[in-house]
Amino acid sequence: MSGQTGERVIFAILGVPMLICMLIFSWILSLLLTGIGSVRWELLTVSALQGGMFEMIVGTIYLLLGATAIAGPVGILAAIYLVEYAPSRGLTRIIDQAINNLAGVPSIVIGLFGYTFFCRHLRLGVSLTAGWLTLALMMLPIVIRGSEEALRMVPASFKEAALALGATRWKAISSTTLPAAAPGVVTSVILGIARVAGETAAILFTSCVLITRGLPRSPLEPVMALSYNLFVKIVALGTPAQKVFGVALVLFMIVTSLSLSAILLRIHYRKGQPWLMIR
Amino acid sequence: MVNDKIDIRNLNVWFRDNHVLKDVSFKIRENAVTAIMGPSGCGKTTLIRAINRMNDLIYGCRTSGDVYIDGHNIYDGNINVYELRRKVGMVFQKPNPFPKSIYENVAFGPRIHKVASGRELDEIVERSLREAALWDEVKDRLHDNAFNLSGGQQQRLCIARALAVKPEIILMDEPCSALDPAATAKIEALIRRLSKKYTVIVVTHNLQQAARISDFTAFLYMGKLIEYGDTKSVFENPHSELTEKYITGKFG
Repeated sequence: MSGQTGERVIFAILGVPMLICMLIFSWILSLLLTGIGSVRWELLTVSALQGGMFEMIVGTIYLLLGATAIAGPVGILAAIYLVEYAPSRGLTRIIDQAINNLAGVPSIVIGLFGYTFFCRHLRLGVSLTAGWLTLALMMLPIVIRGSEEALRMVPASFKEAALALGATRWKAISSTTLPAAAPGVVTSVILGIARVAGETAAILFTSCVLITRGLPRSPLEPVMALSYNLFVKIVALGTPAQKVFGVALVLFMIVTSLSLSAILLRIHYRKGQPWLMIR
Repeated sequence: MVNDKIDIRNLNVWFRDNHVLKDVSFKIRENAVTAIMGPSGCGKTTLIRAINRMNDLIYGCRTSGDVYIDGHNIYDGNINVYELRRKVGMVFQKPNPFPKSIYENVAFGPRIHKVASGRELDEIVERSLREAALWDEVKDRLHDNAFNLSGGQQQRLCIARALAVKPEIILMDEPCSALDPAATAKIEALIRRLSKKYTVIVVTHNLQQAARISDFTAFLYMGKLIEYGDTKSVFENPHSELTEKYITGKFG
């Protein structure tokens, strides 16, 4: 086999999977475009009681924002502890491994845990709060690992300089390490959001109902969500798939715009810190 | 008037099982330049980091013995280590400005110690930059990022940053090893000038540099203090054979 033939074979091996991906992607795109045509946009603001999806959209956003508000700060603080304060490397490694394993737990199992622990044991019932906590559990490992990596990337020399000037450990970390790690930390939160954005199994028994009378008035009330609505309509009610394309499309757009705004935020952070490109 | 600023007595430092400094004792003169030289791994850096207790931050580090500054033992339980590090400034081997503006770099210390703000802070920044011989080069771009400066300028910025908290002692860990000869000459001249007001301790493995800039020289070898005295006599008339071998380039 001549070198040239070998090169062609490699090119084909590498190129064909790419072609398959492109085909699948364009098929999804065409499906989405059909969906756009069939969505009646006025339904976005109409209550579900009148066949709209207003409460589902707001409910989905509520769930995501709440889970992020819990998992973001908790995850970032845990990462700071593990990187900067945890006394021994050995212990940190064991915790890291446990966190890795947690990241691999199937969402249905996490959902079941959320139901037994938050809904039943803590008596939160099927509620927005239970959904937040369950989704936050799914986000945590991703936020922690990502933030840890971002923090470890920051040169130790920044922190040392601050300490040598008489800064306390927290002051040195908060004024030098954290700002430099911010883009990576934001990225880890984005990845966390991406993991739970379209999540169904975790909220299936913890926080969702098919229909409510208006928006939840307190965090202890159940909520409507787009993904749950899709699941129940197709599986339990046997609705033909074409009829729920609109819901799927709206869910897709919410998820995409959330990641997009997070990416913009990260770009903004980077712009303020050109040295991040150097490291 | 000559005074001893620092009195190191029977200093021992271990990193886990590694005995890095062995029973080091000597006195460091006030308002003078003391050079600490010796081959790589002899404990030079560990020695100066014992003077501002930066070794404390290293996991597995253990220290015994005493270090007195102005008669106060800095290893006493009731010493405020943050105040100690304000009083004992440090300049690192590789210039390490913060990823902030030139102004913010110098203002960092005064800000964290809450000693100045506004106009007063501006004055501290200007005074420190002048003292570090950097003011004329940066006065029109104080709000530029410090990373845009050259290596030598960055190192002088780090010196200005250390000066801004009004230290009494300045520790320098091979401050010129990452710089070109021209930038090195500027820093050396600066070190000479600073010694009129501050007690300066410079770690170096460049013998000529030690001879050029220092008033006193300590020679460390394998964690032990082999020789200490005024620079001229250490270089011209060393007591120890080991020192002589090192100075004449037979090892190191």
